[in-house]
Amino acid sequence: MGWVEKLLSIDRRIIFLLVGAGVIVPLLLPVNLPVTVTPRVQAAYDAIDALPPGSRVLISMDYEPEIMAELMPMSIAVLRHCFRKHIQVVAMTLYPAGTGLGEHALDVASRAEGAVRNRDFVWLGYKSGFQVVMIGIGENLRGMYPVDFYGTPLDSIPMMRGVNTYAQLSMMINLSGSSAADYWIQFAQGRYHAPIVLGCTAVMATDYYPYLSSRQVLGLIGGMKGAAEYERLIDVFGDGRRGMDAQSLVHLIVVLLVVVGNAALFATRGGPGAPAARPGEAPPR
Amino acid sequence: MLRSAPVDQALETRWFDPARLNVLIGILLFTAFLVVNILRAKANGALYVRPIAGLKALDEAIGRATEMGRPVLYVPGLSDMSEVGTFAAITILYRLAQRVAEMGCEIEVPCYDPVVATVIDGAARDAYSKAGRPDAFRPGCVHYVSAQQFAYVAAVNGFMLRERPAANVYMGSFYAESLLLAETGNTTGAIQIAGTDKVTQLPFFVCACDYTLLGEELFAASAYLGKEPVQLATIIAQDWAKALAAAAIVAALLLGALGHPQLAAWLRIA
Amino acid sequence: MRRVPLLVTFLSGAAIASLFFIPHHKAQAVNSKLLEWTLVVYAFALILGSLSLWMSHAKKVKKRAEGWPYSMVTLVALLAIPGLGIWKGVGAGSPVGMIYDTVNAPLASSMFALLAFVIASAAFRAFRARSAEATLLLLTAIIMMIGRVSIGELISANLPGITEWLLDVPNLAAKRAIAIGVGLGAVSTALKIILGIERSYLGRS
Repeated sequence: MGWVEKLLSIDRRIIFLLVGAGVIVPLLLPVNLPVTVTPRVQAAYDAIDALPPGSRVLISMDYEPEIMAELMPMSIAVLRHCFRKHIQVVAMTLYPAGTGLGEHALDVASRAEGAVRNRDFVWLGYKSGFQVVMIGIGENLRGMYPVDFYGTPLDSIPMMRGVNTYAQLSMMINLSGSSAADYWIQFAQGRYHAPIVLGCTAVMATDYYPYLSSRQVLGLIGGMKGAAEYERLIDVFGDGRRGMDAQSLVHLIVVLLVVVGNAALFATRGGPGAPAARPGEAPPR
Repeated sequence: MLRSAPVDQALETRWFDPARLNVLIGILLFTAFLVVNILRAKANGALYVRPIAGLKALDEAIGRATEMGRPVLYVPGLSDMSEVGTFAAITILYRLAQRVAEMGCEIEVPCYDPVVATVIDGAARDAYSKAGRPDAFRPGCVHYVSAQQFAYVAAVNGFMLRERPAANVYMGSFYAESLLLAETGNTTGAIQIAGTDKVTQLPFFVCACDYTLLGEELFAASAYLGKEPVQLATIIAQDWAKALAAAAIVAALLLGALGHPQLAAWLRIA
Repeated sequence: MRRVPLLVTFLSGAAIASLFFIPHHKAQAVNSKLLEWTLVVYAFALILGSLSLWMSHAKKVKKRAEGWPYSMVTLVALLAIPGLGIWKGVGAGSPVGMIYDTVNAPLASSMFALLAFVIASAAFRAFRARSAEATLLLLTAIIMMIGRVSIGELISANLPGITEWLLDVPNLAAKRAIAIGVGLGAVSTALKIILGIERSYLGRS
């Protein structure tokens, strides 16, 4: 077997090692690459920034530990922005394992911005059933959550006075790694007409572009890149921006691997004139 | 300032939402297309439906599994019974299980959702009976694994690496696990056929599988495999509806460009 | 008797579809109640799932099939974790909470993290310029991969703009086309089920 064939049938563990190194090295030796803000994240920022101080927003952090690397940085960034603008936050999660994560995000953001529980934010914790909870909030928030996560009755929390449906909330912000986002759009926006800003994983992001153009979603923060852009907009250096170096290097490694693979393919088949696969033909296994 | 519309559900007394008239008309038209085509199918018998490479390959996959004496792995997606994709996965499995029973090879169906597992178990038993081989059904071949996404992936990937199924069929609604499953299947050398209604996951399946059913082909698959005229009629009704949707989009665009945006506004779903 | 499930499917399907068009508060209260019923039915389904899991692994242990000790671990966990939950609760700091935080969460995160590695190996294998279409896909993938990260801007200031155009125009157009097909397919399947044309999910015999 010549070197070209060897290259084409490279052991995938070598690729894994390269990717692993591409993640670890920039985290140990950061270079802080610049981050450009895309229109979708700018729109999310602008929508939240336009809210006057004293407005109240609902933030649902619907994710579990496996995708916290993508969604935790944007949760902290959005919460910090809200606290900085003196926007009161009603926070919740639709995932049981999201309870600890939501609490952590609130803790980090409130410490950084000097926000106080029950004055600047309320943590409702977890409640099961996507549609039931979303419709429940539309009809009677207290029916769904008579008390907050810590057992304090909502009626005795000053910032919750007069808040009982979406109508008393200026915005719904969903940070989600699942189909929960579809349900929020369907119920909170579709049925109760609440303005929505969405944050999701990078893979999911393109699914929601049509909602942006139809203005059903006001802004979209996609993945760690989106979080890094939001961090730049609020001028903080968090995990999103820290992760951008690693993400850049890994993308570069993948591109180089693809280029090398194609160069090897041309070398074995004699260039672009090589026979092409027929439509419908299965790729080699 | 952005503000929610003052919607108070308790005061709502209308029995019909006129903003949803467009959806109602759309559904009524679709139902009419369905009825017309079913009547046509009953009158004429055969209806032509274009061949789908991925479905033709299912027979090849089962044949390969039979020759190699290895099982067929069927993954029915990671959704519950509220997803239409899951229903499509069950109906495809029904046809596939019949072929598996006829050919005399083994099938393994690990499930993510307990209700789906129960429904599939019933469908698979029935498929074996219909194929005339009820005794060949192996109790336990359809089983619940875990309702946790990555625990499920670990179990299915483990099965692939240990048992080396000859064919892996992924049908239904898939999420971030799609590439993890398909890449592992690829390393075992199995023939892989996938179909999903989740547009975001399609590129991953296209990259790692031999054949991929794109979006609506998943829903057409059951009718295509069954070859029953009434089932095929539903695919033709779907095509008529698609043609109507395309015509409506073009008309709305043209009228909008000419300064009449009413049709585009009417087509918007409230 | 075989018509009963079909009738239940037809009536519940037609009722829920109708509720989409009826905004009356009484109709919406019925809708909410139906959704709550779904939750209750699913809670019972978990018992079914646990029984299926128990039977599948108990059989392996009984037969001393290959890998039976792992099945034993599953069976012990299946009994111990709900038991601990009932005894000590499931909140933060409880034994179940600790098991979740220290075992389940890291394992699930690791599985998800594997995606980065398999995406790289799948890209290496799949993005080959075998035809004109494949070359187009390959070039687009390279532009997207470079243009979507910070390093892209350093290479060319135009790259982020090109990636945005690719996402907003060709990508969105293709996605919408597929989504319309998926939507119509889903409606067709739903109608087939409600009208009883498709019955294989019932186990027909």
